[in-house]
Amino acid sequence: MLTRLTVDAQVPGDAVLDLTEMTNQTIKLGAGLRQDCDTIQVTGAGRLRLSKPNKYWLESSQKRYVPSVEDTVLGVVVDTKPDNFLVDIKGPNLAFLPVLAFEGGTRRNIPKFEIGTLIYARVVKANSIMNPELSCVDATGKAAEFGQLKDGYMFDTSTGLSRMLLSSPTCPVLEALGKKLSFEIAVGLNGRVWVNAPSPKSIGETVLMWMLWHY
Amino acid sequence: MEHDGGGDVVTPGELLGNSLSILAGRGAYADGRSVRASVTGHRRLVPSPPGSSDQRSTVEVVGHKAHGAVPQPGSFVIARVTKVMARMASADIMCVDSKAVKEKFTGMIRQQDVRATEIDKVDMYQSYRPGDIVRALVLSLGDARAYYLSTAKNELGVVSAQSIAGGTLVPISWTEMQCELTGQIEQRKVAKVE
Repeated sequence: MLTRLTVDAQVPGDAVLDLTEMTNQTIKLGAGLRQDCDTIQVTGAGRLRLSKPNKYWLESSQKRYVPSVEDTVLGVVVDTKPDNFLVDIKGPNLAFLPVLAFEGGTRRNIPKFEIGTLIYARVVKANSIMNPELSCVDATGKAAEFGQLKDGYMFDTSTGLSRMLLSSPTCPVLEALGKKLSFEIAVGLNGRVWVNAPSPKSIGETVLMWMLWHY
Repeated sequence: MEHDGGGDVVTPGELLGNSLSILAGRGAYADGRSVRASVTGHRRLVPSPPGSSDQRSTVEVVGHKAHGAVPQPGSFVIARVTKVMARMASADIMCVDSKAVKEKFTGMIRQQDVRATEIDKVDMYQSYRPGDIVRALVLSLGDARAYYLSTAKNELGVVSAQSIAGGTLVPISWTEMQCELTGQIEQRKVAKVE
């Protein structure tokens, strides 16, 4: 049974596009969609989104993260190897962060991260069969806020909430919090948020107000 | 259990005959006057070749895995890819020179052995996926864990693969294969099969 492209929520198995009605077009399928002979079916629960001209994907919110390229994530170091740090990013596999993927990184100044260090990084390579690869430099080679996050407090959220916090224009809850308190915040698209404030009391207030709003 | 042309089952040490009337072939040995089996398998008698001075027939013990095909450097193998990583892919060797192996051998295709040109720009994800059947050449015995395999020739590479939709992939060029169910194109290092 075909459903039209609406704002209704989709569930796995819904056929959302009929390819026989869309001949001579190229469409790009993003996350959560697969082709089943002549129809496009949904493989998760969420909303179908279209980005003109031809990209379709499923926007869903889970506690688990599926790595995709160019996402900025918050990871926790779990092990060190000669060439890579092994970082947990709440995905199906551990991610590799090369020891040289830092600004001005050479064999002589490899950062010493202990187990449990929080890192803000971006995903460079991600596919279904290999471990994802991260980097702490942006595309031009500059550090650009990537790297270790010291002090502060980190907590888990769903991926949908992370996306909402990062949406533009600025999310209303962040604006409201910013008027009352001063803090810095880092949001990972993998469902992790880090907050830091000048005093522990401020951190507590930030997190408390956050939780009051969220729950 | 396959018989491979043999008769009844014998075990190591079992007496196969007298060395005056029988020669010891593979899987058997002569111990003084008697000929005994050295491996477990099926006993088979091979008559002496016509025109040889020795009229005794040879007894062999066949069916043991030590006599199965073993990959040697320079032999072509058919393997199934099991794991793909950033710098190499692991594969289970299934056939050596069109003979099936009797025990498990592991092969490894390194990034620099996938193809002959631009070997530092090879993306393993666009060359192999787990489950692909590949034709490869054994480079060397490798290390304790795996043989080193290479697909750096036109006739080597992915021979048969399944798409993410579950259909069979049909080769359309040396880097692309197309799913027959959905028409989606996937990248592989394709073997040019004559």
